[in-house]
Amino acid sequence: MPEIFSASKQKKVDVSMQERYPLASFLMHPNGVTFETRESEEKIILFLRRHLITNVPWIITTIIMLLAPIFITNTTVLDSVPSNFVFIFVLIWYLITTAYFLESFLTWFFNVYIVTDERIIDIDFYNLIYKEVSDANIDKIQDVTYKMGGVVRTLFNYGDVLIQTASEVPNFDFLAVPYPDKVVKVLQDLRIEEQQEALEGRIR
Amino acid sequence: MIWGIIKVLILVFLLIYVVFAFVVVKQVKLMTVTLEVGFEKQLKLLSFIHLLFAIAVLVFAIIIL
Repeated sequence: MPEIFSASKQKKVDVSMQERYPLASFLMHPNGVTFETRESEEKIILFLRRHLITNVPWIITTIIMLLAPIFITNTTVLDSVPSNFVFIFVLIWYLITTAYFLESFLTWFFNVYIVTDERIIDIDFYNLIYKEVSDANIDKIQDVTYKMGGVVRTLFNYGDVLIQTASEVPNFDFLAVPYPDKVVKVLQDLRIEEQQEALEGRIR
Repeated sequence: MIWGIIKVLILVFLLIYVVFAFVVVKQVKLMTVTLEVGFEKQLKLLSFIHLLFAIAVLVFAIIIL
């Protein structure tokens, strides 16, 4: 039996990691994670989202947006504008900054990839008003490849895992996920397990 | 005259923004049903604070403009 199904020491470590870090990007056998269409016997093997480092651009933009009114109000640009309007403009600016922060954070937080012992699930949250959830059975996976390139990706060990399936959704792209090599290994082990189950007639 | 038009535009914008903030609260609620990771309370609180902030700015704009 592949090692990912055994209750190893690694599993215990990851369970406590999940409890401490709800914003983690890579979790094996996560405790306390569940999703809408999960079946009662279905076990989550992997829980992934984009690497934390991919959030740096929007965090920097948010900080710049927060500081912008301080610099603008110190210039002569708004001198001809009544003070009550200036105040409301500043408040609106902070409102837009909050919306930008919320959208960026929620997009990262809810764009997750889940690998269970039966299927792979891709939950996409494109913007604040549109979501998409797609899944494919493990036995429908035809090809798995991973890409890792560039200084930042090599430094922080993250990359893209590209999965081709024979299901309705032909491609599942796990983008910018940490440890893509481990993800591929887990998927490989699961496929072997599924093939064994099919041979032994143990399909759920 | 020009500031009167700008005032109306600001109020319309803020009204639309409050609707948007309400949609965000609703969407966060839906997403936390779709995916549960043990961070739901904080997210709902965040979206609710955003909605309150939007309403507060609208009320404030009506009062001071």
